[in-house]
Amino acid sequence: MTAHLTAAEQRTRPAGVAVSDLTVAFPAGGRELPAVSHVSLDLTPGKITGLVGESGSGKSTLALALMNAVPKPGLVTSGSVHIDGIGNVLSLTGSGLRRVRGPGIGYVFQASQNSLNPLKTVGKQLLDLGRSHGEKNLRGLLRRARELIEDMGLDAVRVLSSYQHELSGGMRQRVGIVFALLLNAQVLVLDEPTTALDMLSQASVLEIIKRVHRDLGLTTLVISHDLGVVGELADRTVVMYAGRVVEEGETQGILRDPRHPYTRGLLAAMPRITGDLELARALPGRPPDLLTIPRAGCVFRERCPLAMPVCADSEPPDTLSGGRRFACFAAAGSAGATSAGHAETEAAS
Amino acid sequence: MTAIIPLLPEEAGAATAPVRRRRRGRWRLLLRTPGRVFGFAVIALFTLMAIIGPYLYPRNLPIDPSAIYAGPSLAHPLGTDFEGTDVLALIVTGARYVLLSAVIAAAVTIAIGTAAGLASGYYRGLADSSIMRVTDFVLTIPGFPLLIVLSTVWDFGSPYSMGLVLGIVGWGGLARAVRSQTLSLRERSFLEAARGLGLPGRHIIWREILPNVAPYIAMNLLLSITGAIYAEVGLFFLGVVPFNTSNWGVMLNIAVFSAGAVTSPQALTYLLSPLICILLLTLAIVLLLNAVDEWFNPRLREI
Amino acid sequence: MIVATGITRTFAGRGGRRSTPVHALRQVDLTIPDGGAVSFIGESGCGKTTLGRILCGLEGFDGGELTIDGQPVSRLRERQRAPLFRRIQMIHQDPYSALNPTRTIANILGDPLALRARQLGKPDDWIAGRRAELLGLVGLDPGYVLPRYPHMLSGGMRQRVVIARALTVDPEVLVADEAVSMIDVSLRLGILRLLRDLRSELGISLLFITHDVATARYVGQDGELYVIYRGAVVEHGSTDTVIQRPVHPYSQCLLSAIPVLRGIEEPGPDRLIPLAPLEERVEPPGCLFRPRCPFARDDCAGRQPPLGRLGGTEQEHACRYPQNREVVAVPAANA
Repeated sequence: MTAHLTAAEQRTRPAGVAVSDLTVAFPAGGRELPAVSHVSLDLTPGKITGLVGESGSGKSTLALALMNAVPKPGLVTSGSVHIDGIGNVLSLTGSGLRRVRGPGIGYVFQASQNSLNPLKTVGKQLLDLGRSHGEKNLRGLLRRARELIEDMGLDAVRVLSSYQHELSGGMRQRVGIVFALLLNAQVLVLDEPTTALDMLSQASVLEIIKRVHRDLGLTTLVISHDLGVVGELADRTVVMYAGRVVEEGETQGILRDPRHPYTRGLLAAMPRITGDLELARALPGRPPDLLTIPRAGCVFRERCPLAMPVCADSEPPDTLSGGRRFACFAAAGSAGATSAGHAETEAAS
Repeated sequence: MTAIIPLLPEEAGAATAPVRRRRRGRWRLLLRTPGRVFGFAVIALFTLMAIIGPYLYPRNLPIDPSAIYAGPSLAHPLGTDFEGTDVLALIVTGARYVLLSAVIAAAVTIAIGTAAGLASGYYRGLADSSIMRVTDFVLTIPGFPLLIVLSTVWDFGSPYSMGLVLGIVGWGGLARAVRSQTLSLRERSFLEAARGLGLPGRHIIWREILPNVAPYIAMNLLLSITGAIYAEVGLFFLGVVPFNTSNWGVMLNIAVFSAGAVTSPQALTYLLSPLICILLLTLAIVLLLNAVDEWFNPRLREI
Repeated sequence: MIVATGITRTFAGRGGRRSTPVHALRQVDLTIPDGGAVSFIGESGCGKTTLGRILCGLEGFDGGELTIDGQPVSRLRERQRAPLFRRIQMIHQDPYSALNPTRTIANILGDPLALRARQLGKPDDWIAGRRAELLGLVGLDPGYVLPRYPHMLSGGMRQRVVIARALTVDPEVLVADEAVSMIDVSLRLGILRLLRDLRSELGISLLFITHDVATARYVGQDGELYVIYRGAVVEHGSTDTVIQRPVHPYSQCLLSAIPVLRGIEEPGPDRLIPLAPLEERVEPPGCLFRPRCPFARDDCAGRQPPLGRLGGTEQEHACRYPQNREVVAVPAANA
């Protein structure tokens, strides 16, 4: 419906994304192993949402599902991904999907520093992207690319005529963002945008993400294993563990008062630049992979300092309390909040 | 060094499958897909043929002038040749020469190629450049024409000499490939660590590098066996090597040039029998090739 | 003890005749005391990894001298160097490529131990006992890991195996180059703590190479920090001094780049805006950092300032106009 709006109009109205009850499973040995299990999640329009999780938490699978691009043999077994102005992405196929990827959602892949074609200049690849989406106005496309590149503090002429190896890691990451935004995406998804970058490049890429997010009026999802990156960048934070959302809420609130023991553990395991180092605590155990995710009960209980008998029997339901959502029996008990019934306004819009 | 530091053990043994028995797992790989079963069976059959075949028949195969180029019958399942000898007997007794020389050729190729490649990739410098000059020289030898020339002065009646010559002219490519693999492995940090720990060079070459290039070598072993089969059968077929031995190549030569098998249906089984054997054998080897990677790579083996 | 004086390393530039040589290290002086902790921090390409590799004997140097336990390396023969460098073991960044994928953990640890047993004149049954002891030391269960191949272990377990392997030769120094950057966040602290404990319990000195200042602080709070920029040390002092009171603008930029955990931390009052990417091809006259320096003045182009304590600072630095700036995040008032 909104396809008739011009790009400029779209930009004034950021699109929201609503994921509900999403399950993505990978078949193995006759079973279906869920990498993402019954995840419901809203990306608030115009805000930066941070998605934190370790390897195997399903965060990248979830992000790919936003584009209906779950790699085979993965299969979406339940749920929907609704994007304003597009509808349920998971029901799209073929050319419908093509119109979503790029013009709808801009995606910056993990290790996108290495995802450029080494044999073509950046400019040629940008033109290829435009042509493959049937863009007629290639001159306009290049102009937009130039603007975006200059926005990121790079020399556009030089970048467009460069090959991959002539750019540093931080520069390539910026080029990856240019690719994602070239077709006027309203939703920007960045998968581990700063992994493999050093601190300085990371800081400048984070600054750039903040800037393009604000200037272009995007709805942004930043996926990272690093609570620091999300803490620096995101308005809202979602913590994933073993395919589940274990905690969600405003970033500052989560950092100040994490409710779920996993979030607490992650925060405590960060070496900090100030304060007493002896307060840092390692999390015991290791993150589970698809095969070792506990099949019944809470997925975190084996590493949890607060585990109770009930944790082994049933999966903790979502508890809503003060704009926060978390899935933990122990935390729910101490918060005094009730599950289900306490239907607070989770996300205002 | 007695202090045992209390540490957070990172996961002890929860939810993990027992480590698989290695040997049995490996042999089972050969039988995992129907293609491999077929390949394995065909190779086993021909190997058996080569080993016991010559003992099944008298030294000089009986001739039967009354049944020249006879069609398949109960007495001669694959028909007979120009002097009435049973084609099946020819095939069975001929297998030894073909297989033995091919295996020898492959063994020589692998031995020289691997040693040269590993040494020049690992030691680099002077060793590398001198070995590679020799390799380049070997690579420039046109193998087949050389064999034709050699056959004028050398009797290839023995499979050993045939295999040796095929091997000696054929190791250049493997040496280059192993060298480049070794060079790229050299940059991996586990080799750097091995050097840093003071492990001796021969340990590093045999224990650290060789297992990592082994799939490559095994692949080449199988491919050079097929290559050698083609080369020697080709030599006999062209008739440049004296026929003083029963051999599939000799059969092909006679079938085509003397019996006119291409035009007359009479000698069809005489022509097809060795041809199909060669095809079966190479097909079997190719089918087994895809098991090689899993054989050597513990990561693939496990699944 | 390792003492390096004036270490210089220059690579021939790529790209034909017109290319300029790349100065990976420029006159680096440093000391790693016995049982001490030294950290190198700097952005990627600053030469910190090259320096670490030189100290491990994995790479040579063009100028200066490296003295290990009183023996100047450049005057020794190859044969004499090897046992010297064996005392300095490298923990590589990537635990996935640091272990041979075709060998079990039992072999990976057994081989160097067999060598060690011969050197020490120990019987063969010493090997298995020592192997179990080392695995216990790094927090692994021998029964679980020994029969396994590296790919069956998690990144954290692999890195522990790498550390155990380094310990087989009883090293005096461990050089950890970005040793936790490829490991899951919840497991990183465990590895860092292991390195810290090895230092305090076994007296092994630690050289920690990273771009992440917070991890450097964790393993070597009581040690020394070297800030390296384009192959030269630009600031050097005790870890907490450099972190809390940095005077070189480059150190300040690095420290400003640490993400702020908003809600429990607030950005330091003088936090600097992130820099433009490094232009390695340009070799400016004078101070190398001048083109990216937010506080550069005209006369900074004159001469590269030497490392010293200009302005009476606690730490050594290489800035003509040293000034203290509070760039590191501070705990939030309401937290």
